[in-house]
Amino acid sequence: MDIKTITTLVFLMPASAALAVDSPIGGTVAPKCSVWTETTGVYGHPLPYKLSTLPADGGVVASIRVDVAQADYYKTRFTHPASFSSSPTLTDAVAWTGSTVVGVVGVAGMSAYEAAKVTYNNVTEFNMTLAGSTWFSVASTASYGSTKSLPAGNYTAIIKAECIAK
Amino acid sequence: MCISFSSYAHEMTPAYFKLKPSYIKDVSVTSMKLFNRREDVEYYDIEVFTFDWKPIPFASEYKTINIGYHKSKLFDVYIRDSDIKKVVYICTQSKLFKSKDQITLITSRICSKIR
Repeated sequence: MDIKTITTLVFLMPASAALAVDSPIGGTVAPKCSVWTETTGVYGHPLPYKLSTLPADGGVVASIRVDVAQADYYKTRFTHPASFSSSPTLTDAVAWTGSTVVGVVGVAGMSAYEAAKVTYNNVTEFNMTLAGSTWFSVASTASYGSTKSLPAGNYTAIIKAECIAK
Repeated sequence: MCISFSSYAHEMTPAYFKLKPSYIKDVSVTSMKLFNRREDVEYYDIEVFTFDWKPIPFASEYKTINIGYHKSKLFDVYIRDSDIKKVVYICTQSKLFKSKDQITLITSRICSKIR
């Protein structure tokens, strides 16, 4: 190979390399929130007057995952039950308790949601300041009357999970 | 007792909507998209609210949307111009069948906010 050919090749190579990399791929991530119902929760019946989703009471705590595509665009709100949506006829009052806590987090910083949560009545609010997935556990307990036995039948209660643009 | 460990999701876009004049006089419109990845849900209610969650009257092709699993649906929401200043949220909320086997059920609501 003579010097002329080598010089020509040296000048041609960068030009062909530049052509090869010039093919951009575009994409957009829009602000979006998805509410995933992972485990719907089940009441255990540890005592004649009590229904509880706590594992210690034989229940299963509801698990809800919230995916946020962009940070600081949404807040989430969980409402644990304060009444049965369907049940046998109850002649006495039912005392309801419940809670919502941050479970598994996709980003370490999301653990701070728990300390920053706002709770009122049977509602718990979280400010979703980071993008990614957060799992929330919602527990519920119903105690009937003054330790009266719950009548036999099917009981259903509803948890509400909301994702609200800020 | 039946326990569900599979994941089902509810999505709605855009996060921030903008009302624009419709073909009807004194009525504005916006388009939303609902995506149902909840196998346990077939119906979603559309709702429009003020900043303090008071309902606002609106019109849409569907007030309750029937949507299959893994399907998406575009829908328009029409709001009177006289109500525009009060509109803050457009939401979709899942509807659950009363006869489901589960003892606790989860209803999901996603709300978009006016831009």
